[in-house]
Amino acid sequence: MKVKLWGTRGSIPAPGPETIRYGGNTSCVGVTLSDGSMLALDAGTGIRCLGLALPDEPARLHILLTHLHLDHIQGLVFFAPAFRPQTEIVIWGPASPEASLRDRIARYISAPLSPVEVRELPCDVSFRHCPESEWEIGSARIRAASVTHRGPTLGYRIDDGDSSLAYIPDHEPALGADLAQMDEDWISGFALARDASLLIHDGQYTDAEYPCHVGWGHSATSHALSFARRTGAERTLLFHHDPLHSDDQLDELGAAAQQQWVELGGDPGTLELAVERSEVELPARAAKAAAAV
Amino acid sequence: MSFVTQRPLELILARNLMSALSTPAFLVDEGGLLVFYNEAAGMLLGKRFEELGTVGPQEWGSLFGPFDENGEPIPYDELPLVTAVRGGRPAHAELTVRSTDGTHHEVEVSAFPIQTPHGSQGAIAVFWPTANGNGAEPA
Repeated sequence: MKVKLWGTRGSIPAPGPETIRYGGNTSCVGVTLSDGSMLALDAGTGIRCLGLALPDEPARLHILLTHLHLDHIQGLVFFAPAFRPQTEIVIWGPASPEASLRDRIARYISAPLSPVEVRELPCDVSFRHCPESEWEIGSARIRAASVTHRGPTLGYRIDDGDSSLAYIPDHEPALGADLAQMDEDWISGFALARDASLLIHDGQYTDAEYPCHVGWGHSATSHALSFARRTGAERTLLFHHDPLHSDDQLDELGAAAQQQWVELGGDPGTLELAVERSEVELPARAAKAAAAV
Repeated sequence: MSFVTQRPLELILARNLMSALSTPAFLVDEGGLLVFYNEAAGMLLGKRFEELGTVGPQEWGSLFGPFDENGEPIPYDELPLVTAVRGGRPAHAELTVRSTDGTHHEVEVSAFPIQTPHGSQGAIAVFWPTANGNGAEPA
């Protein structure tokens, strides 16, 4: 399984010279499964560049949306494969009692916010509510679960062979909860992230910033680290960077996070801040074990 | 790989909210298992949830009474929480609960089901001590 980060920013795109190293595009992660199947996790502005990088040939793509806040869907109408008739796109997302996934997305892909309507997209696009139970896409088993954020929001776990990716970009598991004391089954998102090869997790706020943002649906650094430690994820990327955080500020946040991580007993090499365009290959555990000998 | 059992998010959020309340509150899952009550409820009953732990529906019904205004035990199926979790509708009642030291407390109880896109996940009951203070003695 190959993972590429096309957008690591949260809330709103933050382009400019002060964000050039960590990136300014909003949430999008490309995943290439071991059988070649292609997934996009969220469709923030980062998906525009993902689309440009894909070959112009018939393809079937799956887009897994965690939720429908604008920073997770804004790139949909600029996703080049959506304008190719030979492309089939399956968009997965959370159910809502209010309206279907298609109707909710169509509020954005429609006038006056968009020059095109969903029905005008040349590709073969379909919309599916994520099931409660595990399902398969290509060589992977996918599981979605509701997590603590504002509005219907999912986290995902993707198991492909022995490797696993947990993607929970918008998450406030410490809202009203002490993550250090709570039993595992009472921690939002725990089952998705447990022992994952790679955890991509919300790390939007510093601990000093968080008190002014309680209940906004995002994590302070210490909450993200506590969550990661409790779940036993092998490697963690802090994601969904605040648009107000410059590269220099993220460097400081990263250094403070490393210190906290070590104090929690974590290996310094297993925690990083997510960087746009960076890639991670998740080898099968058998291969990892052989490499360690 | 198998996944660990995870509580539904709605129960997690309900528990987190209840933990912050000073109103006695109880949480049961879809099977009627008492999975949490808060500190205020613990003070009312004389036992913290951490001491009691998760208990089955018959057990929590008998642990603390409850009794009606005549001091008669209220049948399990008529308890507001049971109505909420089984019937999927809110319920309200006045009843008396017995704390572990034998003291009786008259309370009003409102219970409502936790409905989600995937169906009922349990129910919450909130207790309001009445102005009368101690409740009816068992008959």
